[in-house]
Amino acid sequence: MSGIRGMADPRRFGIERVAYWLMRLSGLGLLAYFVAHIYETSNILRGRVGWDELIAMTQTTEGHVVLTIVIGMCVFHTVNGIRVMLGHGGVGVGRPARPDYPYEPASQNYRHKAGIYGAMVLAAVAMMYGMAVMFGE
Amino acid sequence: MRESTIMKIHYGTAIAAVALVAVHVMLRVVQGFAGSLEYESVVANYRFVPYAIMLELILVLLSVHGFNGLRVILLELRQGPRYERSVTYGCIAGMIGLIAYGSRTIVMVNMGMA
Repeated sequence: MSGIRGMADPRRFGIERVAYWLMRLSGLGLLAYFVAHIYETSNILRGRVGWDELIAMTQTTEGHVVLTIVIGMCVFHTVNGIRVMLGHGGVGVGRPARPDYPYEPASQNYRHKAGIYGAMVLAAVAMMYGMAVMFGE
Repeated sequence: MRESTIMKIHYGTAIAAVALVAVHVMLRVVQGFAGSLEYESVVANYRFVPYAIMLELILVLLSVHGFNGLRVILLELRQGPRYERSVTYGCIAGMIGLIAYGSRTIVMVNMGMA
């Protein structure tokens, strides 16, 4: 594989490439949810009956599962986004050095890998908490 | 606008949105998730002016951040002056449309039209 397909292959280039994809997929998912949420909340203008109809449609097991996925995407996107911002600001990317074999980039170090795994763990914890709140009532 | 300025706006809107969305979500949890979604509770939230202002800020921040993120993703996939212009103007149109539609809900409910 080469070109964009090779670059985008999540099985290559380590956890950083997986984070790259998860960041974009979660971003698109959150934008889709945000647009749907704005439409959903506009139903309040239909009065009590319209609002209650909509709530009955969303407060189902399927609705809670979708919201749980949204919570996971939101937490991962936030925590990984903070990691990316810090990296762009030069935090935790190491010192520039001459590229010697085996050409390990200083920026892809344990700090940023820990940030990616940390984002995944926090997303999972938030999803479990969200499920406990939604399914617990 | 320079791309570096756009990215600063992207990061700024992200940080501000995280803080405000945290308040928005915390209120749902504190009020009780199902209870906070009842008609009276939602209308009361919209009619409380500081909360309505916060909702409007979240709407603007997330629309700017979300549609700029979409623009960045689309520009990574393909380049070219015409394509880039179409993507940029398309995202600006989407952003303005979403802000207008969301603001309509906030203003109308706040003014007692629901």
